[in-house]
Amino acid sequence: MEKRTNSSWQNLLQSFEKGLELAIDQVKKRDVESIPGAKDALVQRLENMKLHFPRNNGDLFKKAVNEKIQFFFFPKTKNFSEAFSKILNSRTHEQDFIINELLNGFVTSKAKAIASGTQVPIIDRMVEAFSKRNDFHIVDHQFYAMFGDPNKPRHYVKNQLEELVNMFGLISKKLIIEKDVRRSEEKVYTFYTFPDDIIKILEEKYLILDTKLGYAYVSKNFDRNVFICMFLANVAINSDNIEKIGGSYTINGICAIFALILLLSFMPKLSVDETNPILNDPGYNESNMSVIPKSWMMRQVLEPLFEPLIKIIAYRLGGGLWLSKVIDSEINKRIHNQIRFLLKDVNKWVLGELVRVEIPIFVEIANIFAEIVVGYDKE
Amino acid sequence: MSYSKKPARKSGRKREKWTDILPRYLTFISHMRPILRETRKIVSDLDADLLIDTEILDKIREEEEKRNIRKVRALSEFSAMYRSNVYEIIKGFITKYRGTIPIIDIKDYIIEFLHESIGALYILRHITNPDQKNLDDTYLYSLSKFIEERLFHKGANLRMIYEKLHKFSTEYYECQRHLLQSHTYYREKLDNSDSFEIPGISPKMYQIINNITSLFNLDPSFGVFPERPDYEIPMILKSDIFLPYIDSIANAEEESIENLAERIGMRLIDDLFLAPKEEFVNILEENNYLRTNKQSDGTIRYLPQFSNETLILHYLAFVSQRRGFLSKELINWISMNFAFLIYMGILKWKLSDENIFYSIFKDLQTNEKILPYLMKLICFPNYLGLDKMKIRDSVQYRKEIFNFIGSQIDNLKDLINEVALFCEKFDKERKKN
Repeated sequence: MEKRTNSSWQNLLQSFEKGLELAIDQVKKRDVESIPGAKDALVQRLENMKLHFPRNNGDLFKKAVNEKIQFFFFPKTKNFSEAFSKILNSRTHEQDFIINELLNGFVTSKAKAIASGTQVPIIDRMVEAFSKRNDFHIVDHQFYAMFGDPNKPRHYVKNQLEELVNMFGLISKKLIIEKDVRRSEEKVYTFYTFPDDIIKILEEKYLILDTKLGYAYVSKNFDRNVFICMFLANVAINSDNIEKIGGSYTINGICAIFALILLLSFMPKLSVDETNPILNDPGYNESNMSVIPKSWMMRQVLEPLFEPLIKIIAYRLGGGLWLSKVIDSEINKRIHNQIRFLLKDVNKWVLGELVRVEIPIFVEIANIFAEIVVGYDKE
Repeated sequence: MSYSKKPARKSGRKREKWTDILPRYLTFISHMRPILRETRKIVSDLDADLLIDTEILDKIREEEEKRNIRKVRALSEFSAMYRSNVYEIIKGFITKYRGTIPIIDIKDYIIEFLHESIGALYILRHITNPDQKNLDDTYLYSLSKFIEERLFHKGANLRMIYEKLHKFSTEYYECQRHLLQSHTYYREKLDNSDSFEIPGISPKMYQIINNITSLFNLDPSFGVFPERPDYEIPMILKSDIFLPYIDSIANAEEESIENLAERIGMRLIDDLFLAPKEEFVNILEENNYLRTNKQSDGTIRYLPQFSNETLILHYLAFVSQRRGFLSKELINWISMNFAFLIYMGILKWKLSDENIFYSIFKDLQTNEKILPYLMKLICFPNYLGLDKMKIRDSVQYRKEIFNFIGSQIDNLKDLINEVALFCEKFDKERKKN
């Protein structure tokens, strides 16, 4: 068993190495850089990666994926509130913005697949639904009014709601009215809210409880990222139950997004000449942005790196189970190709140069690489 | 004798004049202000100690409701709802703070908050002159021009509009982009063969424009500049743009690529390549988005160095220049954002951040009584000059679009703050004159 696990991991490392060779070859063939030395810096970085990543049984990957990505976004625990709390605490304004850009696209498309008749940003509507009430609950009728399709039977919407509730890990409470005012019949209302443990965590910053009036308001900090944290926590605690987290769709999407974050973190910063117009561009802020070589965004360079990296992330986060769910088809390659454009404003284009906004997760992963490379040099 | 029915006139399609819309805009505002004034007088006349018992406020409200003499049902219902909201908020405030703040101070706070709210309603009521004289001296005109200059500039030609938008993009690019991204994009048609209608940018379209920017920056091909044979312009393969899309998910966009290209300043060459138009090449060069490089054969090559905003700003300038041909969704979205910015700017100026009545002003029920008419007023020729006949009157639709007012972006908040500062400055200058 041990041997088999080891051979899968070794195969993954080898395929990444091959990917790097192909990428280096492509970068050497073409020059799309306008900053002198940028191409050489990228080739150097890719060569370094080829040299250092397979060492110590892929220790660099273990550190980057397990100690950083897993620590921030998929904590190793079976306790929902603990996972949620850890993810929520790793939030910073800039990090939110970028994780939001990446994950929101994914969660929204997933939610859209669930509530397909509505075509509206479902997380925003959920935030709004919770914000409009003063008891921090939403009721099923509210949901039907927001997302229901008059042309489809009610049970269809009910099933969708169940799926959404599962996706975010919300809980339901039933209220039975013996005689409703209109028809004098028994009526059951279902309320949805966050689990009690999560509410306790949210009280610190996102929820204002007015004990005198018995109200619970959301504060202005309550936003779609709270739902994204719920979604990630749900994935974290159910990582060995694929059906519960949305099947291979979720696994492929999440691994692709984090593969991109990993790649972006590995790219070297370039120092630009002080006369470079980018430094005077109002869209560029030297304190939290850096110019990186743009060649890595080329399809020919990204493709051979992206696929093995997705598999490596899947393996490190969910073992052989997740790895088996990474679909290795031509169609999937194209989907991965789309994901590079998900970065949108995260990877800004400023006067033709690719600019990375330095957020904690990028900096932390980049630091591991720098530390280890320096360490090996000493040896 | 024939009893054939006259063809029914389509509701909401009749031409509405300024004198039709302004009174409708004023109707609800003019019912809100007296309620606040009455309440302020009642609270101010009431002994502070009596405020501790909130039941007294309930009784006063019941008495006030009995005095309701309004005949129109919609108005009396609105007034009752509004009054009840005001009293509930006051009660909540008293209950919350009566243990910590002396009741006399609570009373002063309430009077002060009511005073501020009455002031805001006064401005909203006198936002313009019914006869549209001395336009420069009205809030509606000055504020719509102030916002228009930043987000939707009017100019003699595309280059001038682009320059102006580019100048303000440093501070307000996200607002400028937001103005094009209607949240009801799913109702838009990408290509309307019967007219030159311009739609907003859907999320997929935005992704495609981003792809185009990336492809130009990464690895463009170069070809002869049709209008200047000594020059080469950058071009990208049309097929590369749509390569990542599977299962025909971007089929509609691919089919209407010519229309999209025109909106972002591009054209199709040989039905294969996408390249900037001559007019756009000049704009790009002026803004440093193209640099020149002399080739060994003597030709001059334009090398692209686009920023994220390069193509989006062209789309916005194009929309602004052809504002008479915008889609229904885009007109509703743009006018709603202008109305929202003006309304929120005035509130920001007049109300302190801790004002307890802010929630009533921001409530959907209040918004839908004021903003739709403000949207129509803004569409008149003296203001944005959009086709106000395309503003929808359906209650459901209003709910659909106003719902998104809540999910505002940070940059929009910055602009609201600037609108509030402008209001203050404008008011001072008015008073001086």
